[in-house]
Amino acid sequence: MEGIACSWCHYPNEPDRVSCGTCGAPLNVANAASESGWRAAPRLREMAEFRVGNITCQIAGQVVPAAEFTLAEGDVIFFEQHTLLWKERTVALTGKNLKAAGQRTIAGMPHAVIEARGPGRIAVTRDASGEVVVLPLHPEVETDVRGHAFLAASQNVGYSFVRIDKLASMLHGGPGMYLDRFVAGDTQGLLLLHGYGNVFQRRLGVGEKILVEPGGFLYKDAPVAINPVPVQAGAGFRHANWAELTGPGRVGIQSMYVHRHVS
Amino acid sequence: MSEHTGAGAPYVCRYCRLNSDASGPACPNCGAPVAVREIRDDEGWVEQPPIRDMARILLGRSRCQITGSYVPVAEMNLAPGDEVFFSHHVLLWADPATQLAARSMAKGWDRRRAGMPLVMMQATGPGHIAFSDNDPGELIAVPLEAGQSIDVTENHFLVATAAVSYDWVNTVVWWGIGPKNQREFHYPRGRYADRFTAQQRGLLLLHARGNTFIRDLGDGERIFVVPRALVYKDRSVAMNIHMERPESPRAHWQIIPMIRLTGPGRVAIQSQYGFEPEAHWGWDLLGPDGSWRNWNPDPSRWRRGPKEREPLYP
Repeated sequence: MEGIACSWCHYPNEPDRVSCGTCGAPLNVANAASESGWRAAPRLREMAEFRVGNITCQIAGQVVPAAEFTLAEGDVIFFEQHTLLWKERTVALTGKNLKAAGQRTIAGMPHAVIEARGPGRIAVTRDASGEVVVLPLHPEVETDVRGHAFLAASQNVGYSFVRIDKLASMLHGGPGMYLDRFVAGDTQGLLLLHGYGNVFQRRLGVGEKILVEPGGFLYKDAPVAINPVPVQAGAGFRHANWAELTGPGRVGIQSMYVHRHVS
Repeated sequence: MSEHTGAGAPYVCRYCRLNSDASGPACPNCGAPVAVREIRDDEGWVEQPPIRDMARILLGRSRCQITGSYVPVAEMNLAPGDEVFFSHHVLLWADPATQLAARSMAKGWDRRRAGMPLVMMQATGPGHIAFSDNDPGELIAVPLEAGQSIDVTENHFLVATAAVSYDWVNTVVWWGIGPKNQREFHYPRGRYADRFTAQQRGLLLLHARGNTFIRDLGDGERIFVVPRALVYKDRSVAMNIHMERPESPRAHWQIIPMIRLTGPGRVAIQSQYGFEPEAHWGWDLLGPDGSWRNWNPDPSRWRRGPKEREPLYP
C-alpha cells in the first residue's frame, strides 16, 4: 500500500495516519486554496502530535496555541526566553548568546536564546491569538522569517540573521532591519513560527511578483527577493513602502499584522 | 422572515435580508452560511454565523472570497473597471496589475474635524487585492440596496464598493461636566459615526472584534448597549446617551455610560469591546434626549457632585 505525502511539508506518511508525523498537518482534509493561490496553513488538530528525530511535539489550544515538546535524553530545542510557558523539573535551561549581539540589540532582536535540554517536557507560546506554523526544514534549505515570529527550533537548525538591503526597507519596510535566517544542517530540522491571526502561504514562480503589506509578511524561502516599493497613490497622499516579493519560492503572510506605514 | 424551506422555495437570507439563491453553501450576497440553524437567545439576539472559510460573495462582475477564521481576509477579484475603496492600513496584499489611486472625499474640513481620513485609497480592476483588520473577529458583509443607509461605529470599516458613499453623522451621544465656560465633553462612542449610503446596489465589508450578534428592534422598542460594543445600526434606529448609576451600600458608584437604541431597525454588537468605565461621578449636561437611572434609592448616599437631575426612569 502506498504512503501519503503530506501536502504541506511533502514528507511521506504511513497510509493509516490522519495527521502528518512530521508537521502535524491533517492528511485527510482537502487543501483549501483561494482563487488567488494562497493556501491556508494547515489548521493543526487539537493535540496533533508529530516527531522530528527524537523530539515529539504536540500543539495544544486553538486560539493562542502552545507547542509542547517531549525531549529525550540529550535532545535540545531553543527559543526566546519570553515564550516559555512551562517546563518539567528535569529539563535543563541554558542561556546562549547569539553572534553579532550588538547589531541584534540595535535592531530590537533578541541577542540571546534559551536552550532546553531533555529529558522532560516543556511548552512555549506567544501571547497572541494566531496559529503555530510548523516548517520542517530540509537540509541546507534557508528560510527567512520576520523578527518576533520565531517560536522554537531543534538544535540542528542554525539561527542567524540577514540584513535587508536598502535604507527605505530598514526604516519603513515593516519587517525591520534584519530577518531571522534559519537553515537545517545535515539532517532534517524543525522550525516553529507563530503567525498572528491566520497564516497563508503561496509559491511564487520564477520572476513572479507580489506586493505585500510589510507588516503582513511572515516568512519566505531565501531565494525570494524582498524589496521595498514606494506606493504613491496620488497627489497629497502619503506614500507607503510595500514589500515586493519576487520568486521563486514560498512566501508566508499573516492576516493580523503590525502596521508600519511611515512616509 | 422566511427561511430556507427546501428546493424551489423562495429564500431570504436571514442576515442580509435579501432574496437569494439557496442552491449554494453560502448566501451570494453576504456570504452567510445557508444551511445553518438560527441561534437566537431569549432576549432576541441572533448570533451572526461567521462567514465560512473560502465562502464567495458576488459583487456584480467581481467576486470576493473570505479566507481564514481568526482574523479573516477578504480577497477580491476585481473585474476590469470595478472599483473598491478602503483605508490604506487594511490593505494586506495586491497584484501588481491592480491600479491603486487616491480617492478624495467630500467635506474635507468636516472630515478633518471628525478625525476621519481626508483621502482614502481606491483599487480598480482587473486584479486581485486583499484586506484584513488587526484584531481577531469576524468579517460582516452588508449588502446595501439603492438608497439604504447604515451607521457604523468608527474603526470598523474595511472596504466598500464604489457605489457606496461614505459620510459621517454626529452621534449626539455625549455628556458634559464642569461649569459652562470650562465644560468638558465626553463622547463614549466617538463624536461621529460613519454613515454609508448606497447610490445603487453595493457591498460594505466591516470587521467586528470577537463574535457578532444582531437584533431587530420593533417600533419604539428600546435596548441599552455599552457604547464600544455597537458595530452598526440601521439609520432608522435612534441613538441617545443613557447613564446608569448602580446601587451601592457605600457612597454611590461611578456612572456607567450606555447608549439607548430605539427601534425600528436592526442593530449589531460585538462581544469584544474593551470596556472602559468612566471615572466620573456625575454630569452637568447630557446629550439630546439623554436619560439616566439611579438604582440607589437612598438619596443620602448619593455623592453630591455636579448637578443632578430628577431621574427620568424612577
